[in-house]
Amino acid sequence: MISFQNVTVRYPLGNLALEKISFDIEDGEFVYLVGPSGAGKTTILRLLLDDIDVHEGSVTVDDFEVTAPKFHQATQLRQKIGIVFQDFKILSESNVYENVALSMLVKGYHKSRIAKEVEEALRLTGIEDKKYFFPVQLSAGELQRVAIARAVAGDRSIILADEPTGNLDPQTTWEVMKIFKKLEKTKTIIFATHNTDIVNSMKRRVIVLKKGKLIKDKQKGGYEL
Amino acid sequence: MNDILTSLRRTPYQTFAALSVLFFTLLLSGLLFISLTFLQGLLNYVETRPRVIVYFQVKADEDQIFAVRDKIKNTNKTTEIKYVSKEEAFEIYKEFTQNDPLLLEMTSAEILPASLEIDATKPEYLPELAEMLQNQPGVDEVQYQKDIIDNLLSLTSKVRKTTVVFFGYLMFMSIIVLTTTLSFKIALKREEIGILKLLGASNMYIRRPFIGESIFLGALAAALSNIVLIGTLISMNSFLQGYFAGIPNLMISLGGMPLQVWPFNLSFAVATLAITSIFSLFITLTSSFVATNRYLK
Repeated sequence: MISFQNVTVRYPLGNLALEKISFDIEDGEFVYLVGPSGAGKTTILRLLLDDIDVHEGSVTVDDFEVTAPKFHQATQLRQKIGIVFQDFKILSESNVYENVALSMLVKGYHKSRIAKEVEEALRLTGIEDKKYFFPVQLSAGELQRVAIARAVAGDRSIILADEPTGNLDPQTTWEVMKIFKKLEKTKTIIFATHNTDIVNSMKRRVIVLKKGKLIKDKQKGGYEL
Repeated sequence: MNDILTSLRRTPYQTFAALSVLFFTLLLSGLLFISLTFLQGLLNYVETRPRVIVYFQVKADEDQIFAVRDKIKNTNKTTEIKYVSKEEAFEIYKEFTQNDPLLLEMTSAEILPASLEIDATKPEYLPELAEMLQNQPGVDEVQYQKDIIDNLLSLTSKVRKTTVVFFGYLMFMSIIVLTTTLSFKIALKREEIGILKLLGASNMYIRRPFIGESIFLGALAAALSNIVLIGTLISMNSFLQGYFAGIPNLMISLGGMPLQVWPFNLSFAVATLAITSIFSLFITLTSSFVATNRYLK
């Protein structure tokens, strides 16, 4: 379970990134984080990764109290979370297999287990035939599939997706969304986007943010600002 | 291993710079180690063989010399007294100057002094024997090991001090060069490190390839410097044999274990390799930790 309680985050110059945000996300939930640029979507995702500090309030992810003053378990926390970025963040000098395997190498998995789980993740994302391709040989949609495979592999129970369809054409966007639909059965997914079509067509819980404030939290909602 | 070699191949100039600095640091460290062990070995050898050498005036005849010898023998404080005649001294001189015929031409047995090499039963008898000898007729100069030990101690102390300063400087420079080289490589992989951190890689996981690469360079530099050092010692063997003629072996204690320095042997070569490898490990580990720390923070 993920819990935000009265979370306030300020930028280095003092202006607010998030203001007294509170919500809970149950295990296995699919949640859209929507809002215009600068609303605080990415800040929420970064807080979950212990990538920035909170000024007030608390953030907990399962047993991890991320905002505790002496939190030194960022590595263990991040090993539970898979991330998908808008710009893919795929290592250009590694092939598809190596990029996906990275997710498990950092967890110290045995080679045979890595091989098995990479195969599964590539099958799930539909790029098993591109296993030994390098990023320069792949399309944007395929790169995003690699990123999703990397986020899924290695028993990661939470997937954070930060505008994952932002760089994709409409057709590829729907193909990627199909993968997320398959994933929601087994993972907690937090999907930050400002793509109205996606949110409206695949009705799930929607948390709406505006200027750092939570203005709406609706089950099976649509994109409304 | 393949990853290390690929990374080194991709940055040939940095690799060459780091390898060169490490090689020269370890080569000089090895040279200083060998010099110190020889000096210490010599010191130990001299300290365990209490000896006085008395040189007689050129005009002193053998009767005079033998009279002195008998008088010293009667003190019962000696184990052995060896007489070195002018002719024998000339033979020794000839051996030392065999490569310099001009020096040999200018010398004859007549102008060289005869001497007595007196081995004492205990080192503490040396000052007493030396004083006694100095008052004997026909005696020109008395040398006993206090002078030699003092000289050796002074030399060893100077070499040690030089070693500390010089070695400290070399270590510092090597760490700086290696840290800079690694920092450059880390900067090229900054994005990759960022991704790894977000995936939950531990700091050690991120450090590992950089540590591996610098240890590989260090090991290569240690191996190369030892090949040069051992090659140099082997090529100098005949010269050293002449220099240490009469000395059966030089021993030191290294970490409480006896180590034979001279004549050359496998244990000494292994000890030199071990010492340079330890230095190399210290330099490479320090550099990789300093370089990666900056980025992991």
